[in-house]
Amino acid sequence: MTLLTTMMERPLDAGYQEAADRRAAAGLPPATSTRTVLVVVLAILAGFLFAVAAQSLRPKPTAAVAVKKVLVTRIETLQKHGSDQEARVAALGKQVRDLEALALQQSGGPDLTAQIKDLEVQAAAVPLKGPGVTLTVDDAASTVADGTAGSRPSSGFEDGRVTSADLQIIVNGLWGSGAEAISINGHRLSSTAAIRFAGQAIIVDFRPLSRPYVITALGDPQGIQQLFEPSFAGLYLSQLTDQYKIRSVMAGADSLTVPGDSSARLEVAQPIGPTVGSTAPAPPALRSGSSTPQGSGGASSTPTGTSSSSRLTPSAPASSAAQGTGSPASPTSQENPS
Amino acid sequence: MIPVLGLLAGLAVGLFLDPSVPVWLQPYLPIAVIAALDAVFGAIRAILDGIFNDKVFVVSFLSNVVVAAFIVFLGDQLGVGAQLSTGVVVVLGVRIFSNVASIRRHLFKA
Repeated sequence: MTLLTTMMERPLDAGYQEAADRRAAAGLPPATSTRTVLVVVLAILAGFLFAVAAQSLRPKPTAAVAVKKVLVTRIETLQKHGSDQEARVAALGKQVRDLEALALQQSGGPDLTAQIKDLEVQAAAVPLKGPGVTLTVDDAASTVADGTAGSRPSSGFEDGRVTSADLQIIVNGLWGSGAEAISINGHRLSSTAAIRFAGQAIIVDFRPLSRPYVITALGDPQGIQQLFEPSFAGLYLSQLTDQYKIRSVMAGADSLTVPGDSSARLEVAQPIGPTVGSTAPAPPALRSGSSTPQGSGGASSTPTGTSSSSRLTPSAPASSAAQGTGSPASPTSQENPS
Repeated sequence: MIPVLGLLAGLAVGLFLDPSVPVWLQPYLPIAVIAALDAVFGAIRAILDGIFNDKVFVVSFLSNVVVAAFIVFLGDQLGVGAQLSTGVVVVLGVRIFSNVASIRRHLFKA
């Protein structure tokens, strides 16, 4: 208590009183002038100290804000540029396919249109339309404030946040339930597409997604829903909902579209029907794409026969989609819209 | 009046020059400022009490700042820097309030 009393009752430095007493005893006035050099110098020093401390300890937001603004503008510009280019790729791809079909007709070879279409569907190169289900998965409503949820094992993610592993399991479950074509937020999943994560963002086919994650799966809506819910992925999803409040809604629809995978490109080509005049061309083997990229189409072999057409087959390198999606089931009921 | 002008001049110089403080010195700045404030208010009260002494002011100012910084340094070395800083701020804060209250009584008689 002595300490507190001293602090409260006598806050003034005791030295002042003693010095005043000494000066009074020596016959001088108790107070010295406040205009001595020492006092002025110290006053300047104190002002300097205050200013420097205030300046250096205050956060300086202006520069960071400006830089952030510039970066956001650049990101938005580049994203727009990217989507423009994607649209252009899609348009040119359609043109190429049309020209291919024309050339095929004019070459007088066997009619391969149906086969090409079938393979294009399998390679996710063309947009598809048909009945299916949409599964919307979203982070928990209170991702940050959700303290009640238990900690999730083996992840640095916040609880209640959809992870890439969740999406992988769900998508694989949809494939297993009979989905014939799947896209997530408008990104078609080809057999080479992978669902990964970078930091906290989910990357599908090297393109980052933002929540909510809308998974469009074409196929028999009834069948998919019936098969998905009791499957492992369905149970996993309901566990996520129960434990981490991750939201998910599944709805069937009669007419859904999935876009084509604009990054699909030719990796392996081989001639079919080496014997001229063969009426039944052997179905081209879908090769595993572990082969080295051969100039992306430039390596297509020239037609060997005189009139027999060279068939270009998009490869389905399932092995490179290590953590990605399974190979889609063979589509049977899909129609090509264009 | 001249010391007040000196204080303002020091403020202006500091704001104008905006010197960069080395990083290792930054943790000591806040506590040093509190200590300096305590010395300044003590001096103002002494002036009003009529017992001001320039040497005592200078010595108390410098020792306050140095001791406060030293306590923070020591606390950092011992792992209790935050607690010691809090203690210093509390003690000096109480002193500042008491001195300001005394100054107020001198100036406003209330």
